[in-house]
Amino acid sequence: MRSSASVSRSRTSRNRVVRNRVVVSTLACALVAGVTAGCGSSGGSSASSSGTIHILVYGDTGNTVEKQIVDTFNKTSKVKAVLDTIPGANYQQKLQTIINTPQAPDVFFNWGGGSIAPFVKAGLLMPLDSFIAADPQLKSDFLPSVFNTAVIDGKAYGVPMRGTQPVLLFDNKKVLADAGITPPATWDQLIADVQTLKAKGKTPIALGGGDQWPTLMWFEYLYDRVAGPGLFAKALGGDPSAWASADSQKALGMLKQLVDAGAFGSNFDSVKFTDGGSPALLAKGKAAFELMGSWEYATEKAANPDFTKNELGYSNFPTVSGGTGDPNDVVGNTNNFYSVLKNTKHPDAVAQFLKLMYSDEFVKAQLGIGNLPTTTNTQQFLSTSTDPAYDTFQYNLVKQAPSFQLSWDQAYPPAATTAMHQAVQQFMDGKMDAAAFIKAMQGLPTS
Amino acid sequence: MTSLTATLAAAVERRRAVRSGVGATRPGLAWAVPATLFFTLFAIVPLVLVAVLSFTGWNGIGSPQWTGLANWTALWHDPVMLKSLWLSALLTTLGVVVQTPISILLGVWAAGHQRNRAVLLAIYFVPLLLSATAVSVLWRALLDPNFGIPSEAGWLFGDGNLLGTQSGSIGVLAFVGAWQWTPLHTLIYQGGARAVPQVLYQAAAIDGAGTVRQFFHITLPQLRNTIITSMVLMVVGGLTTFDTVLILTQGGPGTDTTISAYYMYQQGFLSFDFGGASAIALVLVVIATLVSLVMVRLTGYDKMNSTAEGL
Repeated sequence: MRSSASVSRSRTSRNRVVRNRVVVSTLACALVAGVTAGCGSSGGSSASSSGTIHILVYGDTGNTVEKQIVDTFNKTSKVKAVLDTIPGANYQQKLQTIINTPQAPDVFFNWGGGSIAPFVKAGLLMPLDSFIAADPQLKSDFLPSVFNTAVIDGKAYGVPMRGTQPVLLFDNKKVLADAGITPPATWDQLIADVQTLKAKGKTPIALGGGDQWPTLMWFEYLYDRVAGPGLFAKALGGDPSAWASADSQKALGMLKQLVDAGAFGSNFDSVKFTDGGSPALLAKGKAAFELMGSWEYATEKAANPDFTKNELGYSNFPTVSGGTGDPNDVVGNTNNFYSVLKNTKHPDAVAQFLKLMYSDEFVKAQLGIGNLPTTTNTQQFLSTSTDPAYDTFQYNLVKQAPSFQLSWDQAYPPAATTAMHQAVQQFMDGKMDAAAFIKAMQGLPTS
Repeated sequence: MTSLTATLAAAVERRRAVRSGVGATRPGLAWAVPATLFFTLFAIVPLVLVAVLSFTGWNGIGSPQWTGLANWTALWHDPVMLKSLWLSALLTTLGVVVQTPISILLGVWAAGHQRNRAVLLAIYFVPLLLSATAVSVLWRALLDPNFGIPSEAGWLFGDGNLLGTQSGSIGVLAFVGAWQWTPLHTLIYQGGARAVPQVLYQAAAIDGAGTVRQFFHITLPQLRNTIITSMVLMVVGGLTTFDTVLILTQGGPGTDTTISAYYMYQQGFLSFDFGGASAIALVLVVIATLVSLVMVRLTGYDKMNSTAEGL
């Protein structure tokens, strides 16, 4: 599930029961919306005539900051901003049903990349080039590797508006110490660690295969380490031969080697991250590593505070000898973005609103709720964050990264997500060989 | 169809009643207007719209593009669609095969007057009070391979990879479905068994028939219409199963539990291919209609002959 994956990624297991309930109820709503195209907008009546702009965001605990920023904006602006939220996991689905209707917002939350590409193609979004020309800080105050996620066909379509979520290799320090190992710096070391840990009776790596997207993270990092970001960019650009290249075959071979070595145990497809299964494996010391987005920290902190404080370690993904990718590259969710509808009646007010996304107030408020903003002024406030060491590690990682690869399932358009997830899962559990996987990836729609 | 026969029969009754002077205030056509409007608006109109959509390409943005038969030819060559139909049929059959014997036995037992029966029954009915979503979330947690039941019962579950294999996940879906729905059918059978005239048992007892013989020669034949009712409900429920799949397996591993209803959801609301999803929906409508027609014909449900004739 695309949007629920991204959601569960950012909001983790705290909301999982609620989420599941919401999935079903929103589905009913969405079914109706599919026919009548009139569901889900919370009060979007003719946004413009009354001198307001509507800001649509994904509804969750992060809304406190969005509310605060809107209030700040309304203090000085004649055109008032109204914050609308869509709660629940089906944000993308509902957005899709209202974006081309009179209920459409002026500004909306998204994940960049493939989540807005169909809207850009349909001519619904406003390129932000003129805003940036008038105020260069709208671009220069953000980390480039993040900002580029919402650049489509050379034009900027989004401004980062929450926190970055790079994928890190988390570990249980105690399990590693008991086995006499340290976080692996190289792939070969990781393979050796897997053997050591297996001999100790541990599952070397926890994997929530049932969710499918955690499995995808292994592909994303290995492809980047082996071939650099170019291979995926080529494939996404519409050249399917990239998937059949020697580098692609090499990455798949290495993954296979890892699975066959028993790195993930044998029942990983019955385990999920979203219901707390794989984080518990790590926290309870049954597994030594988990490759997960930076929200793993918040998930573990909520479920196992003592473990998080004393034993949760993290490191960058190991390097691959002979690989052409930069060892400093990261993958994950670069950030969330605000994009602007072409139809907005108040572009000047929107431009003013977007400027707040690199303000000191914004950065401090985001750090206060545990998000890590990607503005250049973030650095000076890192000491005020709830977990300075962790946030500094992440910030430097993202800042130094020559390339920040957006998660494949976010980079491809939504139409590709299901088939991609299935292929990834089936390659991992051995139902697909490399040739079948390559064929499946080549069959994905890229636009 | 059955409702039609029922309406006709009712109409005949009413005409007789009018003729004989009883109940002179016969309800006019106006009485049917609210229901008809409701049904037209929420069943017929969407159905027609879906039929139209199935000939278009539409991702929810902009207006649908006419693509002729493209969705239908794609569906015809789609291995996942064929597989999903088989899976739907398999899950439905499993549901009937597993639930029917259990609920008949439980229902017949519950129709008696044993001690503690009411207390035990109250416990049996608990699953019925929970929403399918809650039930699925509950079992998902209970079946966790590392922290749930499988981790404590390795001799039975092996490595606990229940939801990582096709047979395992189908088994889980059938089991959870049975756990949730058996109480409902037990209730139906309890009512049916209570309605069996006691004289039959008394006569059989005099003739020397034991409990087992009474069950097979009196209870089961007398429950014929109840069995049909219960099976129709099971088949309809099986074909429209969705929530358990959504939460327990999400159609996985791979496409191994992608039943037709879930496949439709996937195409429509995850991949935003509303045209293709509409085509799947229509296939489901046609199949469900055919299945109910065949069942009604084969079982004589439309005639509903009484099992109490000659008593």
